[in-house]
Amino acid sequence: MLSSKNIMTVDRKAVILCVDDEENALALRKRVLQKAGYEVLTALSGKEALDILRSGKIDLVLTDHLMPGITGIELARQVKSQHSEVRVVLLSGVNEIPNGADVADAFLSKVEGPDILCQKVAAILNRS
Amino acid sequence: MTPHEPVNILMVDDQIGKLLTYEAILAPLGENLLRANSGREALENLLKTDVAVVLMDVSMPDIDGFQLAHMIREHPRFGSTAIIFISAVHLTDVDRLKGYSRGAVDYISVPVIPELLRAKVSVFAELYRKNKQLERLNLELERRVAERTRELQESESQFRSLANSIPQLAWMAHADGSVFWYNQRWYDYTGTTFDKMNVVGWSSLVNQDHVERVAQGIQRSWSTGEPWEDTFPLRGKDGSYRWFLSRALPIRDAVGQVARWFGTNTDITDRKQAEDALVKSERLAAMGRLAGIIAHEINNPLEAISNAVYLLQDHSSLDQEARYYTQLANREIARLAHITKQTLNFYRESHHSATVSLSEILDNVIELQSRRFQLNSITVDKRYRTPGTIQGFPGELKQVFLNIIANAVQAMPEGGCLRVQLFSSRERRTGRQGVRVSIHDTGMGIRAEYAKQIFEPFFTTKETKGTGIGLWISRGIIQKYDGTIRFRSMRLKQGYGTCFSVFIPAAVATQNADSAAEMIAGGNAV
Repeated sequence: MLSSKNIMTVDRKAVILCVDDEENALALRKRVLQKAGYEVLTALSGKEALDILRSGKIDLVLTDHLMPGITGIELARQVKSQHSEVRVVLLSGVNEIPNGADVADAFLSKVEGPDILCQKVAAILNRS
Repeated sequence: MTPHEPVNILMVDDQIGKLLTYEAILAPLGENLLRANSGREALENLLKTDVAVVLMDVSMPDIDGFQLAHMIREHPRFGSTAIIFISAVHLTDVDRLKGYSRGAVDYISVPVIPELLRAKVSVFAELYRKNKQLERLNLELERRVAERTRELQESESQFRSLANSIPQLAWMAHADGSVFWYNQRWYDYTGTTFDKMNVVGWSSLVNQDHVERVAQGIQRSWSTGEPWEDTFPLRGKDGSYRWFLSRALPIRDAVGQVARWFGTNTDITDRKQAEDALVKSERLAAMGRLAGIIAHEINNPLEAISNAVYLLQDHSSLDQEARYYTQLANREIARLAHITKQTLNFYRESHHSATVSLSEILDNVIELQSRRFQLNSITVDKRYRTPGTIQGFPGELKQVFLNIIANAVQAMPEGGCLRVQLFSSRERRTGRQGVRVSIHDTGMGIRAEYAKQIFEPFFTTKETKGTGIGLWISRGIIQKYDGTIRFRSMRLKQGYGTCFSVFIPAAVATQNADSAAEMIAGGNAV
């Protein structure tokens, strides 16, 4: 289990944009990440996420893969081409890594649970 | 001989006067009239020329008429020569004449009536001419038959060389189904000879599981004359079976009766294997899709629940009891996650198989379990007689052996010996070459009543601990390699022993594992 003390405390909290078409899942994931010490924004679609990204100040996009409209991989591709400094973690309900997932910085199964999620996010943010 | 060609008429009499009289009577017939003064002279004539009619007196000094007639009849060359006796008829003579009744024999009594003699000779001369014509026609016919036979023999030999060059096994049978010919391919494939086939019969080469149906089907065709078709494995000379599509067609004569049967056996083993592999791949792909859908539908809410419980467990409002419940919930969530992960691992790996060494995989698994071996006082006896190199996916293979070894460890809570063997092997039932891994333990054994259920999903003997899918998943993985997994449990000198044996065929594994994985990769939902 992770507490906020373990997370880097540089000048400001890292900002994570959480993307999922399922509201409950999104709200809970947001709370888990907030509890781990991050500032969290949410978007219910890839399109909304891209709009938010334009406002800047996002460090990491944590997105579900299977969403109506823009998929997680497609979103990752666009984020990487428009904002190359933003990290992307792809989250999926199935353990198999989908084709093209390597465009994201990391792939994570939803089954891994909140501890692993926070560890992975921290590792990706610290990698620079 | 044309219809009007004159024939020879031989007149035999010791009295020249009579001969001249006959000559005068017969001259109008336009035949060749030959004279003989005695039986001996008559014979000389007969040997020199073909004679249509012999006209003779019964009583002559040297050889009498009956003796002469007897000699003529004895000789096959004179079969169609007619004999007319001229005699004062005695009753005894008529009786004797009957002895010749099978040949053309007649008599004329004296005094000779010219018209009657002329008429009789004319009839026999004509008969002779007709016979000769018939003979000639027969000869012509025989010549044609011989020619036709030669043509048939030629076409037969062409047919045989054709039948020997086709890729099929071929055979021909009489109307009753008794085979009288097999092509060379038949002998090459089966390693038999025609005589051996006659003794053992073709059904001895048909796979046991099919022989009854095949025999019934073919018997039905023999009796109804309907074409026959069936698909079954035939044993080759090396003892292994290949699948053949077999057909028999009736060949009918001019009146529609079955004259013989022509049969072929076409080797469809490769096609059948490809079809089987495809069916298996499709089944696996369908399973993969289903598993993908289920996983997606379970994993999504599972994540939400797991996050919710995670947030709840440290919530300040919870008292100790409520916190205990969240711990229970967390444990069950972990179990659920484990199950979906285990199930899906099966379908998860990379799309292309790699060359893997089973000995390395086994070492790896044993290494992972080494602490548990120590804790449980289990000694490990490794006996590898081959590196066990196959094409496959290391992760899922590791899962198989980890499942089996973990079960073995749990079966030996009081300690024991784990023996892991790896060796090249030939599967007795199918004759396939491959590698076998056998894992023995000296644990508590598997009760006979569990034997049937052990590979079923959600079967466990571990009360609360197990998920009951380990061996089910393991078997699914091994089946993907076209292999088998079996176990035996028996009483040893001290306690029990259980042996799990995994066989992976050498050649088939490569091809099928690849195609199955491709299908799954293509069909999986994410």
